[in-house]
Amino acid sequence: MNWPLIALRNILRDGTRVISTLLIIATGLTALLVGSGFMLSTYDSLQEITMRTEGHLIVIDDTPEPLLGGSHQQLSLSNWQTIRESLWDDDRVLRVLPRARFEGVVSKGNRSAVFFGSGVDPKEEFRVHGPFLRTTGVLDPWLTSSQRAEVMLGAQLARTLDATSGDLLTLRTVRSNGESAEAVVRLAGLYQNGTPAIDNHTLMVALSTSSALMGSDNVSQLSIYLDKKEESAALQRSLQETIDGVIVQSWQQRATLYHKVKSLYDRIFGVMAIIILTVVFLAITNIISLAIYQRRSEIATLSALGTRPPQIYANFILEALIISIAAAMLGMLLAYAISHAINLAEIMMPAPRVRPRDTPFLSTSHGLTIW
Amino acid sequence: MTTRLSLNAISKAYGKADNQMVVLHDISFSLNAGEFLAIEGPSGSGKSTLLNICGLIDHATHGDYYLNGAAVSQLNSSERCACRRREIGFIFQRHQLIPAMTVYDNIAYPLQLNNVKAKQIKHDVAQLLTAMGLEHRCNHLPYQLSGGERQRVGIARALIKRPQLVVADEPSASLDHRHAQAGLQLMRELNQTYGASFLIASHDPLVINHCDRKLTLLDGYLVDPA
Repeated sequence: MNWPLIALRNILRDGTRVISTLLIIATGLTALLVGSGFMLSTYDSLQEITMRTEGHLIVIDDTPEPLLGGSHQQLSLSNWQTIRESLWDDDRVLRVLPRARFEGVVSKGNRSAVFFGSGVDPKEEFRVHGPFLRTTGVLDPWLTSSQRAEVMLGAQLARTLDATSGDLLTLRTVRSNGESAEAVVRLAGLYQNGTPAIDNHTLMVALSTSSALMGSDNVSQLSIYLDKKEESAALQRSLQETIDGVIVQSWQQRATLYHKVKSLYDRIFGVMAIIILTVVFLAITNIISLAIYQRRSEIATLSALGTRPPQIYANFILEALIISIAAAMLGMLLAYAISHAINLAEIMMPAPRVRPRDTPFLSTSHGLTIW
Repeated sequence: MTTRLSLNAISKAYGKADNQMVVLHDISFSLNAGEFLAIEGPSGSGKSTLLNICGLIDHATHGDYYLNGAAVSQLNSSERCACRRREIGFIFQRHQLIPAMTVYDNIAYPLQLNNVKAKQIKHDVAQLLTAMGLEHRCNHLPYQLSGGERQRVGIARALIKRPQLVVADEPSASLDHRHAQAGLQLMRELNQTYGASFLIASHDPLVINHCDRKLTLLDGYLVDPA
């Protein structure tokens, strides 16, 4: 007995209702897949931003408390050059970037603003940020001029100061020993990382400039960029074991925003998924209940012939399974088509605060990830 | 002669004690092996209920029921299902073929339920299809058949497993005279070939006259016990 064929014939007997159920399930599944695609795409973007901003691994000094001011001001990693050199031979490592955090006040004429600054390796820093850090009005060469120290300002901070490329700005700070220090720097250009609150308070200078300003060659952290992010856990363990006096953190430990957004989205989409799956379940239950009601006499006949009740249930379950599989395939097809259409039409997600610019609504492959 | 079926003071009532409706009162009779027994009576006399009890589809409220000498009135639902599967064939008033199954599948189904080997099923079904002149219809679905053909398929399905008891409820109800006569003739032939006992509920004189013996039910009472 070809039970799947018999189940199929039974399904086709109730064509209109089956089609509407199929569409309900397929629509629900499409919503679930497209939603999941968007969610996963967002997670990927946030991961990418965090990894590009912080590095896959971050080496910091294991001093328990900051020396002065907030942790931002801490310049306690003294042996960073040795660590950096030791990592150059490791094939897994693409780049090792030092970053010196400092803070103070930046002024242009009678305008001043508090800043959080970073001393960076200018050649590499903007490269690792890729599309997530957009620069504008950049002078060439910038941050690397030997004539005068230069600074890159967050676009919002430049607006606050009414500063444009080429302007001279004064950076004032307090060193770890309590001395005040200042430097006059030329504005080399602006950047946007997509978060106005950050752009409003941050600036970047070359590491040599920050060292001179802070009177220290130490840095706050070494950011390690890897060829493959999957290798970060193994390298983190080995570095932690081989280098004394440091803490090696993974990007996940620094990804506060990523974890918060993920937690929020997981809950939102979790509730959505439960609602959609409930609708799907009710749709299937409804059509099977109706089928059972309509085929009472057929069930009675099967029972009279000696069919065991589980065998009778199995027929209806098989029908539900066929409808579900057909609906799932249709839903996947629809989700695939919709995600392709969205990508082809270049529909962009409006840039949220964490993004520098509009980003694709979702990527096609993510639409089917959960399958 | 072997007694195939024996009912002893069978009663059937529906509802609770204070609002009970008794549809069968103290029914007692026997059916011999190979016998063709008609139960006649007007609509509402309890024929179908009696047939359901005899076919182990329904329970009697009181009384004893023996099938091939074994007491079956106290069997649980699983045992009753197994007994129906093995020993009882049903011919329904409106054929009750499974619409999604082909003629072949409808006839083969009782054998499949009894775990008969595929080769044997193929052989038996082919033989019966030929005997009934339905071999050209074996891959058709029930809706593609005429009324007479459907009834023949229903009869074939009841007989394919060679049951010891065939319970038929108004087998001629949906047939014209010619097809009804042909159907009865077929049942009689198969009765002679396979030795099955037939218990047929009907108020069609054609059917009743075709049987060896008849019982009359009136308002739940057996009026003329054998």
